[in-house]
Amino acid sequence: MTSERVLLARVGRERSQSIDTYVADGGYATLRKVLTGGWTPESVTDEVKKSGLRGRGGAGFPTGVKWGFVPKDTKGKPVYLLCNADESEPGTFKDRLLMEKDPHQVLEGQIISAYALRCRSSYIYIRGEFYEGARILQRAVDEAYREGFLGENILGSGFSHDITVHRGAGAYICGEETGLIESLEGKRGQPRIKPPFPAVFGVFGAPTIVNNVETLSCVTHILNRGAEWFAKIGRNEKNTGPKLYCLSGHVNRPGVYEAPMGLQMKELLFGDDYGRGMKDGRRVKAVIPGGASAAMLTAEEIEDCPLDFDGLAAKKSMLGSAAIIVMDEDTCIVDAATNLAKFFSHESCGQCTPCREGTPWLHRVLGRIEAGEGRAEDIDLLEKVSNQMANGMTICVFADAAIAPVLSSIGKFRDEFRYHIENKRCLVGPRSEAAVTVTA
Amino acid sequence: MSNPTPPPAPEKKTVTVVFDGVPVEVPPGINLIEAAKLAGIEIPHFCFHPRLSVVGQCRMCLVEIEGIPKIQAACTTPLKEGLVVKTTTEKVRASRAANMEFLLINHPLDCPICDQAGECKLQDNAFGYGEQRSRYDERKRQYAGYDRTMIGPHVVADMTRCIQCTRCIRFCQEIAGTGELTFLDRGGRTLVWTHDGKPLANDWSACAADVCPVGALTTKEFRFRRRVWDLEKTPSVCPGCNIGCNISIENRDGVVYRFLPRLNPAVNDYWLCDYGRFLSESLNARDVAKATVRGGSEVSDVIVPAAIGRIASVIRETIDADGPSGMLFLGSANLSNEENFLVRKIADHLGCANRDVVVDRSRVRRMKSKTEWIEGDHAAANFAGARDMGVTPGPGGHSLADVLEGRWTPKVVIVADGAFSAAADDPDSVAKLRKAAFLAVAARTSNALTRAADVVLPASSLAQKEGSFTNVQGRVQRFDRAFLPPPPARAHWELLLLLAVALGWGDRNWTPADLREAIRAEVEGYAGVSDEEMAGGGLLKKGLFVSTGAL
Repeated sequence: MTSERVLLARVGRERSQSIDTYVADGGYATLRKVLTGGWTPESVTDEVKKSGLRGRGGAGFPTGVKWGFVPKDTKGKPVYLLCNADESEPGTFKDRLLMEKDPHQVLEGQIISAYALRCRSSYIYIRGEFYEGARILQRAVDEAYREGFLGENILGSGFSHDITVHRGAGAYICGEETGLIESLEGKRGQPRIKPPFPAVFGVFGAPTIVNNVETLSCVTHILNRGAEWFAKIGRNEKNTGPKLYCLSGHVNRPGVYEAPMGLQMKELLFGDDYGRGMKDGRRVKAVIPGGASAAMLTAEEIEDCPLDFDGLAAKKSMLGSAAIIVMDEDTCIVDAATNLAKFFSHESCGQCTPCREGTPWLHRVLGRIEAGEGRAEDIDLLEKVSNQMANGMTICVFADAAIAPVLSSIGKFRDEFRYHIENKRCLVGPRSEAAVTVTA
Repeated sequence: MSNPTPPPAPEKKTVTVVFDGVPVEVPPGINLIEAAKLAGIEIPHFCFHPRLSVVGQCRMCLVEIEGIPKIQAACTTPLKEGLVVKTTTEKVRASRAANMEFLLINHPLDCPICDQAGECKLQDNAFGYGEQRSRYDERKRQYAGYDRTMIGPHVVADMTRCIQCTRCIRFCQEIAGTGELTFLDRGGRTLVWTHDGKPLANDWSACAADVCPVGALTTKEFRFRRRVWDLEKTPSVCPGCNIGCNISIENRDGVVYRFLPRLNPAVNDYWLCDYGRFLSESLNARDVAKATVRGGSEVSDVIVPAAIGRIASVIRETIDADGPSGMLFLGSANLSNEENFLVRKIADHLGCANRDVVVDRSRVRRMKSKTEWIEGDHAAANFAGARDMGVTPGPGGHSLADVLEGRWTPKVVIVADGAFSAAADDPDSVAKLRKAAFLAVAARTSNALTRAADVVLPASSLAQKEGSFTNVQGRVQRFDRAFLPPPPARAHWELLLLLAVALGWGDRNWTPADLREAIRAEVEGYAGVSDEEMAGGGLLKKGLFVSTGAL
């Protein structure tokens, strides 16, 4: 069953990035309606709350509620809105598509959200590697200024707003909102101690809301077609709206797919409108449902697995950034876990002891097992080291993310680890490059 | 028996925190780690420092807080009324052991050859909270090119020992205000180094080594000279300038090995400038080992009482011949209040108004107390105290300037300190002083003045005597003796007291404590100054003796 495309409606349209086509397709009409049609910032926030929109960046926190955390009295400080475009979660490439193919959709949502927050200046923090996206966004921002959708007194409403596109320098941790804030301030990208939370003490010490690209894109549609319309899309009232799924791995047709929140995993993998089944007809071995930090699921677990916040939480994993990475039966799980551990070891910011020292340790032990030098006690060691890294041991949840693939792969594929250690080789496939022990 | 009209309850100035079941009243606004310390509970930590911003990075101070499911860093937990803190639970024990294991997996376990051993927080916390064995069996991290390298004029960095606590980075940013140090790279490859390889060369650079809890930053000057547990720690005051930073003279067998800052929030707090710190070696210099008396062109060694007797007899003969007006007594800004007091009393006893003290100016030195920057521009510690003691020309008396500028030539010059100023090693100045018929000086090292003198008395270093200095704030600060001067050398005050007794004033059994008693009785502003807590002007106090090595 094909559903209406909302977020991706304009992807594929000729010159979809240009403001002319965007306006011709009805773009910025919602902004006009909000700014000049008697909407107050509070009513915009209420509408977003009613829609049930939950943050698309990974944590799934209700967006309207988050906006409500900005203090009524900001003691003279400005409120900042930051668009988190530091899309770095392995397997995730939805924001990139939105920014590169329909940048004005992002900007319109961002300006409406800024209006709701009484925010004069907002930023788009885009990851350094998205050179093309930054270029396209900057051009779109320039166009929006030219057409009067940004700048002083937008559309004669009295509301003024500026957007600055800021490129990151290539660090996964800058997707964590306080790491992003530090980086935007020109400092080393290291997450902050919370509390205080950004809504109270964020960028430059002012109240700050950080929202994901896809979240802000949804805002326009909520205000355009109403919270009720938005809330009806999706599996239930807690998991609403259209959702972009990033499908990658051993499927016939990987890509970004839009579907109502709560699409069944099997549908995404095998449906004709989506992945169209496994490559060469092989079987599913494991699926990572929400980016590298989400626990792996087995082939059994993806039966009746709605892809939404609560559906995956029920399976002790998470929707995260909706990056569904599919691994077939020829995938070595030790190799996959080693690869992920390498990523987290490389991206730890290094400020907290357990994460700085623990992530390379996990990578080294996994690398040893993958290279055929594992010992029987290593499996136990990996679990113990993982368990002493997370759950409050560190400032941010990076360590919690880093141990998820290790613990879930061991928990669900322990026999494969044992085989690897006993036979000094993979159960399947060749040895991976990630196994080469790195010298830190 | 109840009081019928109880006084109104005073406003509560403390908060109650429950540590391991025991409620404790602590002042608000302090860190939870400090509050626990007040309650007698040690919360192990590395990155927390009372004067640096709280970063919560090392994760060693994790505790359980009632009502919060996850374990919390004590240093980042705001202190508030009714907080219930648990430091002895299994979860806390396990988190400490986990952090110690993580910190040690890449740390070289070679304490026997590490200069920090004995004053290393990593070593202490490993013994206190770590497990006996590590489960790490991989290669340890190396920092080729970043090991055992001078990163400034004093500090040696060895990144293989670093635990990335950022205390040194924060010291340079927040106290020195110069920000030379930074984190480079990230994750397990994170290291501390200087920006763009520029030197760590601020005025307090060695404090970065002080705050380093491990052997990653050490000073070139002290490195490998002595195991720290062998050192005696003597509370003293820095002789470098008139700020009067509190120091610990770390010594052994009559040798000074280093100065460390000694905590005094009102003066130098936890800090010490490089200039003052590295004066420590100068205390070991001595080339005036014996008393000498010049007879004609011959200079001969004599015993100290004989030399003092010679000075006393010259003074008496001069007074008998033409009264006390031909004598000049010079105190010194390097000498203690007690010593300068003796100079004044001797002159008074003889009825001589010609007494003086001078001080060389240095560039302005700055020190950050807990609350403010203090500036000093004297090249000696106690000009203020010497003047307080009255070592200034009396009515109708002559000054040193009168001599050096040729307005007056004394007959007898008694110099209490051979290094009283740069003039003592200046040939022209010495020539003018030498015009006197008799020149006597007490000194530890030789210079133009000692070479010209008729009598030289072997004196002591700061480490070899006790006394007190009065700093630029008017704070009177005691310093203790670390060890005795090598015989026959004696403390300046002993030599001066012997001279006073020879001239018929004083008691040769007096100690500096007795002299302070006399100062209290006589010198304005010093009356309320108790011996234990030397307080000048009734408001300024000497800090408690806490070596910063223990923090």
